Amino acid sequence: MEITHEQISDGLRRAKYVTNERVETAIFLALALEKPLLIEGPAGAGKTEVAKVVAEILHTELIRLQCYEGLDEARALYEWNYQKQLLRMQAGEHQGLRWEELSEHIFSRDFLLERPLLRAITSASRVVLLIDEIDKADEEFEAFLLELLSDFQISVPELGTLKAHERPAVILTSNRARELSEALRRRCLHLFIDFPGTEQERKIIELKVPDLDAKLAAEAARFVGAIRKLGLRKPPSIAETLDWARALVRLGVRELDTDAVRTALGVLLKHEDDRAKVEAKASSLAPRRR
Amino acid sequence: MSGLRNQIVDFIAALRDGGVRISVAESIDAVNAVAVVGLERDRMREGLAAALIKDEADRAVFDESFERFFATTRAARGAHPDHRGEQVSAAAGRGKPGDNPSARDDDAPVRKTDEPREGAGARRRDEKSQAAEAKPAKKESATRRDGAEREDGGRDSDKMQGRERGDADARDESPAPGIDAARVARLRAIERRPFDHYSILDYDEAREALAPLIRRFRIRLGRRLRLAKRGKIDFRRTIRAAMQRGGAMIDLNYRARRPRHVDLVILADISGSVRYAAQLMLELMAGARECFRRVSSFVYVDHLAEADFEQGHLVMTPPLDLYARSDFGRVLGEDIRAVAPIPPVDCAAIDGFAVRAIESTGAGASSSV
Repeated sequence: MEITHEQISDGLRRAKYVTNERVETAIFLALALEKPLLIEGPAGAGKTEVAKVVAEILHTELIRLQCYEGLDEARALYEWNYQKQLLRMQAGEHQGLRWEELSEHIFSRDFLLERPLLRAITSASRVVLLIDEIDKADEEFEAFLLELLSDFQISVPELGTLKAHERPAVILTSNRARELSEALRRRCLHLFIDFPGTEQERKIIELKVPDLDAKLAAEAARFVGAIRKLGLRKPPSIAETLDWARALVRLGVRELDTDAVRTALGVLLKHEDDRAKVEAKASSLAPRRR
Repeated sequence: MSGLRNQIVDFIAALRDGGVRISVAESIDAVNAVAVVGLERDRMREGLAAALIKDEADRAVFDESFERFFATTRAARGAHPDHRGEQVSAAAGRGKPGDNPSARDDDAPVRKTDEPREGAGARRRDEKSQAAEAKPAKKESATRRDGAEREDGGRDSDKMQGRERGDADARDESPAPGIDAARVARLRAIERRPFDHYSILDYDEAREALAPLIRRFRIRLGRRLRLAKRGKIDFRRTIRAAMQRGGAMIDLNYRARRPRHVDLVILADISGSVRYAAQLMLELMAGARECFRRVSSFVYVDHLAEADFEQGHLVMTPPLDLYARSDFGRVLGEDIRAVAPIPPVDCAAIDGFAVRAIESTGAGASSSV
């Protein structure tokens, strides 16, 4: 299926993903050139969301591989189902099968436990493969990914090389907990998603929390933008902003004054010292009444 | 299309000169990306960025180079060879890592970071004049390169193009050396002038001279922060690696360093006498602010204000009066006379007196001086 730039823009709009030219173009290119897309940016800026939206645009399945320290091939790629193989062997003994027949049998696809990567490769239609937080995985795993990302094939010693029928759209995300290798960067297109600007965030709030008063939405966006600049341990993500906006609706807040800010701050900030810092400055941060 | 392709290749060469690491595979991606995205300017920029820029720290260099190379969509489509030569050399002139001037501004930032504490004064002036020295040197090398580039280009392309280029030179570029010479002369004059004699106009010129320095400072800093490869020993991974080998041999595994891990606090005196110097310094630092994790800048005259830069202009909250008195209010309204002299006798509390040896013969401990 040929994809056009306009389709992407439309799809993003329909998925209520407010964004800019940069994100659109990067997504479009990743799909058009069939290259993996590496998305970096602070936590909670909407990196993972991109993958979900892309899956929605392509009307396809999203296969997600969450990375963590110590993630290995068995968890990411495939594993032989030992228990099933063992049972099969015992059954085979009763039937009097010879070893050759047996071994041919137990190393077939039936006994393979497919993990996300293999599932994405062997899938009959084009899927979206999200490799989330690649920076959390070890460098060894990153090196192992290289073969997959450049050729979209996987070698299973007992079965041979499995090549993708349809190249999956691969999206990798990273929080820059560590520097990724040059080799990996080279194979990917790169996109940096930062926190949205005030205007963009206002649009997001209005789109996702339509119950909130428009003026209040603008003020909330400005407030969140301001506290992100304070150098907090964990600046509020977009999701938290939206939760906060919903909380404001629930609390029936009409005006974003110092008290209103204080009551619902726990939704926005998840560290005690962050909270103390913002509370100390709450009066100067809350938009002034004219 | 081949014209555009060449232009992209040149563009990539300029980026590499600017310190961005780009592989051949990425160049191919870039050309493919443009082919897919089309020539609409914004899309083309984002397309190239996605394919070429793999680190957000390099994005500023990319944007600047892009502005220079693809001035308008037309230029991009037309891909004038005469444009090209000029642009490439301008980009190349930004200085190769090995260049002399860049070596000089390499050690500058180290001093700059602690400078604001020390007050403005002579060192800052020294800094500035050094910086301004670097500028003309670079200009010269740029001009030289320009020439070489043109020669190369002339040889490569056919006669027809060569003549076209010549015409173009007559049209666009012939006044360039003259302008350059005049500019260099003017910049020299400015760099010799003390800061307190600056006029607004001089300040603008100095800022212009500062622009390439800001760029190079940022690139240098970014690269240095990125190149620091390994950090502390990663205990878990070291043990895990050892376990894989039966616990026998230990290869030490290091934690990768988190990139850009520097906080910076700038405190600058911007009172009347040093305000041009201080502002130029602040602008230099502002240019490199994305290299730091967090930058807080404060300026003061008679009280402290938080400073920020918006589109190259200093913005202070709350605004300061530049010509306020900087004595912090610690001045007496009128002189106060001591009731009695302290100490009450003639003596040298600290310094002592110089005495001729001959005159001191026979003097005791309590002889008067």
